[in-house]
Amino acid sequence: MTVKVEKIEGGIPHTTIMIAGLVASVILLYLTYANIAVGTEYFAFFGGLATVAALIWGSHTIKVLCSYGIGTGVPSAGMIAFGSGVIAMLFATKYGIAAPIVAIVLAAIIGAIIGFVANNVLNMRIPVMIQSLTEMAIIGAVILMGYAAMMTGSFELTSLITGKVSILGLSLPSYQASFIGGGLIAVVFMLGAIAIQHPFNACLGPSWTQDRMLMLAAECGFLSMITAAVMSMAIVSMGAALVSLLVAIIGWYYTYTKYIELSYRDAASWVDSKPIPETEGQ
Amino acid sequence: MESIVFGIGITALAGALATVAGAAENTESDIGSQGDPNSQVQLAPQMGYLHRIFNKAIAGEPPAWGLWIALGAGIAWAFMAMQINPILAIVLGAALATFVQGVYATTAYLGRIASLAKFGQPVFIDILKSMTTVTMAHAFVAIFAAVTVCHLMNAALGHPFPLPLLGLVWGIALGAAGSATGNPFYGKERQYQNQKYGAGVPIAASGNIVRYAEAGERNSLDNGWFSARLGGPASGVCFGLIVFLELWRTVLFEQIGAGWGAIIIGIIIILVFTVIDRYIEVWARKNFGAYVKPTEEAS
Amino acid sequence: MSAIAAKPAAGAAMDMTSTLIGIIILLILIAATYFVAGSGLAFMALIGVIVGGILIGFGVHFVPVGGAPAAMGQAPGIATGVAMLAAGAGLAGLFGGAWAAELGLVVATITGAIGGGLLMAVTCMFVNFIYVFGMGIPSASGKVDKDPITGDTQKEFKSQGTEGHGLPFVSYVGGVIGGIFGGGGGTLIYLMLLDLYKVELPGMMNALPGQVLPIAITLAGIFAIGIFLVNAVLAAYNITGTIEGPHDPKFKRFPRAIVACAIASALCGMVAIMIVAV
Repeated sequence: MTVKVEKIEGGIPHTTIMIAGLVASVILLYLTYANIAVGTEYFAFFGGLATVAALIWGSHTIKVLCSYGIGTGVPSAGMIAFGSGVIAMLFATKYGIAAPIVAIVLAAIIGAIIGFVANNVLNMRIPVMIQSLTEMAIIGAVILMGYAAMMTGSFELTSLITGKVSILGLSLPSYQASFIGGGLIAVVFMLGAIAIQHPFNACLGPSWTQDRMLMLAAECGFLSMITAAVMSMAIVSMGAALVSLLVAIIGWYYTYTKYIELSYRDAASWVDSKPIPETEGQ
Repeated sequence: MESIVFGIGITALAGALATVAGAAENTESDIGSQGDPNSQVQLAPQMGYLHRIFNKAIAGEPPAWGLWIALGAGIAWAFMAMQINPILAIVLGAALATFVQGVYATTAYLGRIASLAKFGQPVFIDILKSMTTVTMAHAFVAIFAAVTVCHLMNAALGHPFPLPLLGLVWGIALGAAGSATGNPFYGKERQYQNQKYGAGVPIAASGNIVRYAEAGERNSLDNGWFSARLGGPASGVCFGLIVFLELWRTVLFEQIGAGWGAIIIGIIIILVFTVIDRYIEVWARKNFGAYVKPTEEAS
Repeated sequence: MSAIAAKPAAGAAMDMTSTLIGIIILLILIAATYFVAGSGLAFMALIGVIVGGILIGFGVHFVPVGGAPAAMGQAPGIATGVAMLAAGAGLAGLFGGAWAAELGLVVATITGAIGGGLLMAVTCMFVNFIYVFGMGIPSASGKVDKDPITGDTQKEFKSQGTEGHGLPFVSYVGGVIGGIFGGGGGTLIYLMLLDLYKVELPGMMNALPGQVLPIAITLAGIFAIGIFLVNAVLAAYNITGTIEGPHDPKFKRFPRAIVACAIASALCGMVAIMIVAV
């Protein structure tokens, strides 16, 4: 019933990317738990790396979903992912060390029901709809949890809702200066929602290549991580925030130059201050 | 009484800043061909019309601006939480958000053009260098003004939402108002300057965008200049009016009748705009007249 | 926005079996909340969230959005994405409603609704302003011959080779109504969750109500935004991206969007409530 507009040719199959993304992001999320085990905040940057892994997976899921004309723009897919993901993620943070697993299971349930609603009740009849929206909800929840872990040092609800204010060198606990109380969750919501849809939105076209899009997804992830590291300075210790910032800048620089190289490889030509080339079509 | 005078002053300031933000937002997005007119910039090379227009397909305007403003507000919030002066914090937040916007702009251009390799569209590095900086400058103005509006709402007028949440709300509203008002002016009037004035672009002409300027080849800076003539200011007034009227009706009339005062004033404002809209529509029908038997013009 | 031009050929009919399954899921969700949380504040919050979600989903169908063709004057409506335009209006309404939260549920919800309507009224007026004074194009609908409200004929004002352009009066009214529904729905979700969190959070966190107020406000706010976006995108999927307003034939598809939005809101609302109720 639906026309498939673009084919996925070659490259890594989607299932491989999905499993790799899921496993990598869960392991990286759990590595932030080392903070609690050791009693520091320096391992917070693993949360940021988890978001990068999940974003790479997510950009490919968007690619799979949006190769079918879904009738509205690519960004809306990112919005529905995070709209359903944020709810699952915040609920899961109540469960302490089990939080990432609870988030994934709950997000899968929410995503599957929303996918069923979109596909069957709204009669969209897109073969990958249910699977894609399930994946998107999981990705949304994992990314938000990754940012939460990176910016607060932990993925537990208590650390998300308490922060500290230092007035004249005195450190006081405060609910207002926290990840949730300060509304930083709204920022990471948008950071993730744009970063997840941008790679496919920017790379779509007849000469789409998979490695270039995935490299861009990693670049978006590290770029978002830079800003998240800056914001985390208000919540975690300055040293931990600087470690995150350093990791993010190195990762961003590497992926950004790589992405430019790949674009150079794929572009028809690469010119500076030249007129429009003559073609037979004129 | 004093608090009401103070509130009115803040409301006027917020409205003025919102106007600046709206105007800068639309000019920025038109220089980058962001939003719906982007589809034509994307389509043109596929129809054989190679061009030197910037193709900044980051996302639609509302989500993209939702991010820029929320990000600027979030970073400003973080710096304020670290006891940094609000003005400096907002400037730093806007600067970092502008950096993110600039990076997204370059990756969007490179990505879209590289994916058009099949049609021979080259990547113009000079476009990337000159246009990105100009869009970043406009973006900085818009982000700074909009984050300041949000800070005024939160700190001076006492809105309960924290700054980043206000940034998300008003960023999406800014993008929605700016794209709704500014897109047709850029999309039809500038991209299709070669088509008949006073009529929609025939669907058959899609992709045949204007690629040559008064002298030389048109680039997106020429489009920014054009948008700044009407589309930008109109978007600015649109967003400014939204912010101003929303704050004004609350600050002045919320105390009357336990909140019903603001509701009644809101309804009156909506009715006034309805009358203006109807007047414009009838005026156009009367003065422009119908397209009686349009001439068979090749498009 | 998307360069993908092909539209899905989603049928206009309702799939009765799926709809029935959907309604059963909805009832299970409501019943589950009732058994877990009882008939108190939490259950009322769930009902409020579902009503809010339905208002949002229904409201999106009124908003005249033409997408990319509208930017070229090829199709009537506002030249942007429907989900995000509705979100702009709804969140502006949420802003007003949240501000008036202490004035009571009814006043705050109506304030939010008017806030959304106000944004759409100003925006739609400026769309016509730009079309008429900037581009010299009168409004014309492509879907109907006569404006159902004013009775103006549309066909002869449609320029050659297009499906119409601008916002005819009925689309303008549709836009304002859509903004009102969106703003009211978003505010209702926010207020119901806020009331619940204000009561439950202090006990859960062993803190004073005044201390947890920022947490309650942000949690309710971000959930309201999340549920809003889910419903707006689902409604946008239902109309496959573009619609002219209440006179568009696609408007008749709204019943299935109401079922869909009710299920999605019930699901998200239940999880949002369980955060404090379990």
